[in-house]
Amino acid sequence: MKTSIVVPSRRQAQRDDLSSLGEPILQTRQLSLWYGKQQALDGVTLDIPKNKITAIIGPSGCGKSTLIRCFNRMNDLIPGVRIAGEIFYHHKNIQDPDVDPVEVRRRIGMVFQKPNPFPKSIYENVAFGLRINGFQGNLDRRVEGALRQAALWEEVTDYLHKKSGLDLSGGQQQRLCIARTVAIEPEVILMDEPCSSLDPIATAKIEDLMLELKRDYTVVIVTHNMQQAARVSDFTAFLYLGRLIEYGPTKKIFENPDKKETEDYITGKFG
Amino acid sequence: MSAPATQPSEQAFRRRLRWRHGKSKLFASLTITATLVGLATLAALLVNVFTNARLLIAMNATAEAGFAFSLRSLERGHDLFPYIRISQVTEGSSAEQLGVRSGDALIRMGFHAVAKISDAWATVEQIPEGPTPIGWVAGAERLLGDLRAEIDPETSRVTAVLLDYLTPGSAAERAGLQVNDILRKADDFPIQGTRQAWEAIVIAAQQKPTPSSVILEIQRGEQILHIALEAEQQAQIPLNRSFWHTLWFFITEYESPRFAELSGLRSAILGSFYVIGLMALFSVPLGVGAAIYLEEYARRTWLTGLIQVLISNLAGVPSVIYGIIGLEIFARAFALERGVLAGALTMALLILPVVIIASREALRAIPDSIRQAAYAVGATRWQVVRHHVLPYAAPGIFTGVVLSLSRAIGEAAPLILLGAFQYVAFDPKGLKDPFTVLPIQIFTWVGMPQEGRANIAAAAILVLLVILLLMNALAIFLRIKFQKRW
Ligand SMILES: Nc1ncnc2c1ncn2[C@@H]1O[C@H](COP(=O)(O)OP(=O)(O)O)[C@@H](O)[C@H]1O
Ligand SMILES: [Mg+2]
Repeated sequence: MKTSIVVPSRRQAQRDDLSSLGEPILQTRQLSLWYGKQQALDGVTLDIPKNKITAIIGPSGCGKSTLIRCFNRMNDLIPGVRIAGEIFYHHKNIQDPDVDPVEVRRRIGMVFQKPNPFPKSIYENVAFGLRINGFQGNLDRRVEGALRQAALWEEVTDYLHKKSGLDLSGGQQQRLCIARTVAIEPEVILMDEPCSSLDPIATAKIEDLMLELKRDYTVVIVTHNMQQAARVSDFTAFLYLGRLIEYGPTKKIFENPDKKETEDYITGKFG
Repeated sequence: MSAPATQPSEQAFRRRLRWRHGKSKLFASLTITATLVGLATLAALLVNVFTNARLLIAMNATAEAGFAFSLRSLERGHDLFPYIRISQVTEGSSAEQLGVRSGDALIRMGFHAVAKISDAWATVEQIPEGPTPIGWVAGAERLLGDLRAEIDPETSRVTAVLLDYLTPGSAAERAGLQVNDILRKADDFPIQGTRQAWEAIVIAAQQKPTPSSVILEIQRGEQILHIALEAEQQAQIPLNRSFWHTLWFFITEYESPRFAELSGLRSAILGSFYVIGLMALFSVPLGVGAAIYLEEYARRTWLTGLIQVLISNLAGVPSVIYGIIGLEIFARAFALERGVLAGALTMALLILPVVIIASREALRAIPDSIRQAAYAVGATRWQVVRHHVLPYAAPGIFTGVVLSLSRAIGEAAPLILLGAFQYVAFDPKGLKDPFTVLPIQIFTWVGMPQEGRANIAAAAILVLLVILLLMNALAIFLRIKFQKRW
């Protein structure tokens, strides 16, 4: 059965198989994860291509957030997490004991499901990451640049120091979080359902932003909004019950999935 | 299941609804009653404290005028006639300038005869502002002279009280008394002894509704004479009944072990602030540090769980027990004696669990999403704590700290056990200096028998309450001012 979702052509991958991936920046090999005794990921093997947008889709509780948190070792912060398998970043296993998770997170930024600006001024929200990472250059310019990149500059330029990040609207807060992330110029930006708490207009703005960011960054986005995955992503991974069911160019996943579960999920039979 | 079982009839539903509304009304009235009972109790407490403390102004006015009183009484048969002895007259005071000396008896204040010290103060409280008339009876030597008793050698009972020496210029001389006159009665109070003779005159004068002479019945030779003796002296004395003056006197004056009207809270207030300040110095960094470690650093294991339970239990341990620990460890083992430092350390132990719990609550109120946001831009654990968690939790921690300090300020038991239960008429300076604190001072005063102690204890309670209210107001202010919505 064919899906009715039309994938805009300019976002299509050139070829229809995984060999179109190009240079992978993040890779997982047989990645399994347990929260205590409960298994959340089961043998996930996946390559994330550089300077592309990769979407991870799947029903609630299938492990999307868990997987994306593996990429910048955010799971370290959750007590009782056990990980088996490997996660490579530029072919270096980031689970190795000689890897500093702080450095991983500095290079692989993250935008969360619920906007979480600091209760500080807009300026300080963006500058914080720069300050703690020992940024030496012109802080004002860099903050402005990041806010422009997040398409927020015009809206907040008058009260950079006056308004708290919490005084902004939900969509603005999320763009502020994106600005905060891009300010420190990571290589990869992980986004965990960044639009799930936003209205359609704000969502559209964030989606445009993702396409912009693609030029400079590798973006991994978790979403359970399939239209969104179809609109913005180059590659799509379908996760179900902690397993990677299918992974390939977005066009193929949406138009001609190999697996029955994928087709059922995409056509809305469950999820 | 069949349909009727799940769908109650219209009637049954309405009946049930009425019953449900009734139930919620019942609970509403219960909670309102509970609130009202609480408020009434509080009001009764406050009214009681206020009425007791009000007398402080009159007490201070008489003390300012130079008086300190003690209560005496004359016994006759089964009757007790109390009178006020002026125990102390301050040098250079208005009382002294009027010629009042210690040992005199105060019998009238603002034209009212006064028999008890509290009568005197109550009168001062009621009479209008301005110079106040007082009446007093000079001491025995200045009123009469020397008296001598004749004693029956067989029964060793006093048979007669004679005037042995007549003080020149005394009221007795002016009345025409002579040496060797036998004093028999003052009005209808029989004279039975040398000291009792003066007391009988005092009581006789005090019994008069207006200042007037006492009729002495004397025997001169075979003659019985009645002589009018002007025992009572009168004068006007200025009394300063200013609230602020009283307050200032009360909080800056040392404790007086003999006279309630001369007592103040100086050493107790200084002791309280000294001990609490020192205590905060120990308990706040320790408590906040422990809370940060437990909340932000420690892994959640059975050990941290156990520590959590232990700390909660410690917060519930009766404070007396901390007094025993303080006495054994700080006062004895560390040889800090019963001084300020031992007290502060004991109190620090007492509130440490409270500070830890309050700080943990404040830290826990910071949403994890903020920590994650900071971690996600490459912050280390310390940077997350230092730049985000701690600043955002600070108002909450502060509120908790202020509340635990106010708990400590009201705490007496551990310090009583430590032995900080002493008369301190100096400012504690060194770390081993003995000290007293407000609640202990209140406790001591309540236990003292003299008139006026209950009143100054009530006034001290008010001072303590005001300090506590100010601290709690500060805590509320901090909470409102810095409250964050997430
Ligand atoms: N912090 C956690 N502790 C324990 N279990 C968790 C935690 N986070 C997620 N899980 C469990 O792991 C599974 C996957 O969760 P998650 O990755 O959040 O799913 P998704 O993001 O796809 O909705 C779920 O069953 C969830 O209950
Ligand atoms: Mg999720």
